[in-house]
Amino acid sequence: MSTRILCVDPDERARQETAESLRTELSDLDASVETAGTVEEALDRLTPEHSALLTEQDLPDGTGVALIDAADEIAPDAGAVLYTDADPAAIDTDALRGSVTEYVGKGSVFGAERLGRLVRTTVDTRAQASYPLPQNEAERVAALQAYDLDDPAPMATLDRITGLAARHFAVEQASVNIIGEHSQEFLSCYGGATEWETTDREDSICTFTILADDVMTVSDVTEDPRFESRSEALVGMGIRSYMGANLVTPAGLVVGTLCVYDDDPRSFSTADETYLRDLATVAMDVIDLHARADAPEGDR
Amino acid sequence: MSRDDGYGFAAGLPVEPIAPGSTVLVAGPALSRAEDLALSMAVDGNAAGEASLFISTNMTCKTLLGTCERTHPDFDGERAAVIDCSGQDLGQAQFEAQVRSVSTQSDLTGIGMKASALYESLYTSATEGRVRSSLVSLSSLSMYVDLRSLYQFAQTLSGRIDSADGLGVFAIDPTTHDTQTVNTLSQVADGRVDVREADGEGDGELRVRGLRDQPDGWQPFVVGAAD
Repeated sequence: MSTRILCVDPDERARQETAESLRTELSDLDASVETAGTVEEALDRLTPEHSALLTEQDLPDGTGVALIDAADEIAPDAGAVLYTDADPAAIDTDALRGSVTEYVGKGSVFGAERLGRLVRTTVDTRAQASYPLPQNEAERVAALQAYDLDDPAPMATLDRITGLAARHFAVEQASVNIIGEHSQEFLSCYGGATEWETTDREDSICTFTILADDVMTVSDVTEDPRFESRSEALVGMGIRSYMGANLVTPAGLVVGTLCVYDDDPRSFSTADETYLRDLATVAMDVIDLHARADAPEGDR
Repeated sequence: MSRDDGYGFAAGLPVEPIAPGSTVLVAGPALSRAEDLALSMAVDGNAAGEASLFISTNMTCKTLLGTCERTHPDFDGERAAVIDCSGQDLGQAQFEAQVRSVSTQSDLTGIGMKASALYESLYTSATEGRVRSSLVSLSSLSMYVDLRSLYQFAQTLSGRIDSADGLGVFAIDPTTHDTQTVNTLSQVADGRVDVREADGEGDGELRVRGLRDQPDGWQPFVVGAAD
């Protein structure tokens, strides 16, 4: 997994020192530590792949708190740390609108060491994300990266599978989704789902499905505490109820899901779950067989 | 006592020392002593030089600190800090402990920032940087914020405790939540202590799950330092 960290401090020397100390503390993570001196520069540099954002509170063109709030749109999974000389009691956190941030005082006796350890935990456990990670997330992401998901060869078969799923459950939309490190991509879609674009992982129902044993059902997204805060957008996509089955690699790692979506609340039976699980197994077999066929002979 | 030693508990609690960096949920219904237990677990090391950080949702800091002194006569408020989210005016009251107030439980950003800053302060004053944090309770916070925000807050707090080799104890009343909520919030913790009422002497029974080298099954317990 990639570890990209952005350090923002108006003082050139201070930011270089912070960046260097993080490179040393996190050398085993092969962390890429970048720097910026202003809010504008920081927002230019920041990408969805960044794991952590460290910032001073007082910046030439704004505040660290305002930067953290704006950064949440670009990199929702990135952990934020105010590493600052500012007194925590004097920092107005209203601008954060409910987002969380860590605070480490630069003057703290253990400042640099504590910062290194805190950033490590924040990155390792994705401590500020709004969704839980599977225990084997690192292995899961590595397994995912081994597949060429741009390969057009399995697509026709996957499209038939999503079509079969949609017709069997009499729903308008179905899809095969890949749950990446920070996002959810739609590999094969049926019906209105063909219009969907990649979403942030935190907005994906399937990021909870991959925590389940094999199948997860949601009878009404507006009534489920995990999704109710996002239910307006989901209902707008025609998703009122949901069933997803995990795509599991031969090594037992979950790389994605096969899902059906209904625009009305509904429940799913055990037989429904079994049917979708079987289709998901076929879908994963197709992806896997094509990957093996494309691999160099020695890797098969 | 070194940094690597587990966090131990008073003789009345049948819980073996818990590894530094861990967070546990203490789960029990309102009438059980789950919340008292979650406070007590964060005070048990205080007399030995460890520090205690409390995030109190309903109880005022005055009531909370009074409870600590009653259950632990050696309790030293100078190694304690409280974030009082009760919304009640503290007036001119003076405490040995560091006290910060937050006007509403919905201000998770403010609670989190204050917790971070107080943690840093306690870390420097505690023996070997050993800080126990007690959040009482997740169930109360859940009435003010949505589950995903609460998960994010609790996970961030648990991450800080992990990074500082501390101990986290978060109270929850599972009878007030649906399964998805309890399952999701359980993901922030390394283990769980279930609490139930019981007949007879003592404060009830507890059962430890998800942590290594702990007693099996339900065990009677007594809150407090007295042996």
